[in-house]
Amino acid sequence: MLKINNLHCQVETQDGEEKPILKGLSLEVPAGEVHAIMGPNGSGKSTLSYVLTGRDGYEVTDGKMDFLGEDIAELEPEERAAKGLYLSFQYPVEIPGVPTLTFLKEALNAQRASRGEAEMTAPEFLKFAREQAKALGVSMDMLKRPVNVGFSGGEKKRMEILQALILQPKFLILDETDSGLDIDALKTVAEGVNTLRSPERGMLVITHYQRLLDHIKPDVVHVMAAGRILKSGGPELAHELEAEGYDKYLGEVT
Amino acid sequence: MGVITHTPAEKALIDLLDGAEDWRAAARQAVVEHGLPTKRAEAWKWSDLRRASQGVETAGVVKVTLNDASAPTRVTLDGDARLVLDATAGVSVASLEIEIPAGARVCLNEVHKMAESAFLTARLEIHLGEGAVLERVVTSDVPETSVPVVRTRVTVSAGATYRQATLTFGSRLSRHETHVTHAGEGAEVHLGGVYLLSENRHADFTSTVTHTGPGGLTRQLVKGAAAAHAQGVFQGKFKVEQAAQQTDAKMTHRALMLDDRAEIDAKPELEIYADDVQCAHGNALGAIDETALFYMRQRGLSEVKARALLIESFLAEPLGLISDETLREHVTGLLRDRLERIA
Repeated sequence: MLKINNLHCQVETQDGEEKPILKGLSLEVPAGEVHAIMGPNGSGKSTLSYVLTGRDGYEVTDGKMDFLGEDIAELEPEERAAKGLYLSFQYPVEIPGVPTLTFLKEALNAQRASRGEAEMTAPEFLKFAREQAKALGVSMDMLKRPVNVGFSGGEKKRMEILQALILQPKFLILDETDSGLDIDALKTVAEGVNTLRSPERGMLVITHYQRLLDHIKPDVVHVMAAGRILKSGGPELAHELEAEGYDKYLGEVT
Repeated sequence: MGVITHTPAEKALIDLLDGAEDWRAAARQAVVEHGLPTKRAEAWKWSDLRRASQGVETAGVVKVTLNDASAPTRVTLDGDARLVLDATAGVSVASLEIEIPAGARVCLNEVHKMAESAFLTARLEIHLGEGAVLERVVTSDVPETSVPVVRTRVTVSAGATYRQATLTFGSRLSRHETHVTHAGEGAEVHLGGVYLLSENRHADFTSTVTHTGPGGLTRQLVKGAAAAHAQGVFQGKFKVEQAAQQTDAKMTHRALMLDDRAEIDAKPELEIYADDVQCAHGNALGAIDETALFYMRQRGLSEVKARALLIESFLAEPLGLISDETLREHVTGLLRDRLERIA
């Protein structure tokens, strides 16, 4: 489903310099599987999530990234979204003045229009959104408020998952979804993610810590450091990392 | 001082005002002696009217209508009304006095229409009696080649409320002046302004609010967005006289630069002679939040749509002053339509 081969990516720093971050990253996530990427700070995990979704300033210099058999490197962020790529942000953005419901209805209908599907009417959308919100314990009152404005860290992460439930993407990238969550919020968010697991959907769970993976059980765990995947294995790899830390991988690359 | 050579616009204006009375006679004399204001005049340093009116060479006509009937020069309003200033090409001058009687509640929907190469100078005098409420909603959607200069003097009596919301898309030069004399004694003044300028357009909000009596409240909020080579001007002044103790006045101007080549000029001023007052002003410039833009596009919105939504959410706040929902939706709709074209 998602196939990344020898990906090199550079990022423009604040000084205007190009800094290579991804240095030959290869990864394949088939439909129906959940893969975790674990790695120390600065290993390029967030860069991977941004380059996959097409953020400005993240330039592919070599390699390939295919989604559903198509090279997506030249597509605009909204084109990738319409194809079904969804990023749950590490730091969800506040958008004052734009009610969450309005935002999601516009987003969903923009995606549907881009795929040649009929737009959802306001009553249809409202009913659908209400069902999804209820499942995640989010009040309609929250959905009427401006996107993420005044929400706690945990509420923002919950809203990210709710947005995914409403937009129904084919592939989810969860970037540090566990950061800022207490254990109850973590469980709620993980339950939301688990309801999204399906044979047609793939997921990439980016995390620094193993604890999220107790609730979202990955099929494969990849260890990332210095812009590359250094080791892949089963869920037991996450526990090994938790016990031993990343030192031995950092040793390999420096 | 040397004798100035009048521009065709100045000549047309001098001819047009020949034999005029009241403020028009004084205006004529000023043009005869000094010409139209240029950027060398402090109050016009960001709005060079003489230069902007070049190219206007003939006299024109302005039609002033109130509820679709030709308006008299003095009018008393005790119910909602629609005022239209409709200027043809060339130089024209309009003058109107509006009296809002004590206790009346009025919503005035004011529309400025201009033909290509129209140069309008308009003066409105508005008087609010005690306890009167006037909500004035001004929309100015005019051709780029036109030059509207609309100056409004408002006197607000004790206990009265004056609310003004102006939306302009600018032009070669668009100037909206509001000068309020504020009696305090429970009176309130709310001035809201929005400018959204596509390339090469200019809009100027210039205002003074003079508090003459105690216990007055003033809130001013002007928000703007300007594209490349567009120029937004905000000149706001609060003057608090010694008798105007316990004045509570706040002025805010915030602008969004849609392009590095946009120009925003702001001059907020406080002049305070009373010692027991709360007065503040704030002025901020910013650019579109690129992170928010990416976030919205990642959810599937096109870049144009995402920008339009972000700009609208930034600009819409002052239009919240419009209490009539239908009118507010109409004005917000004008803003939205414009945004879809320039975002």
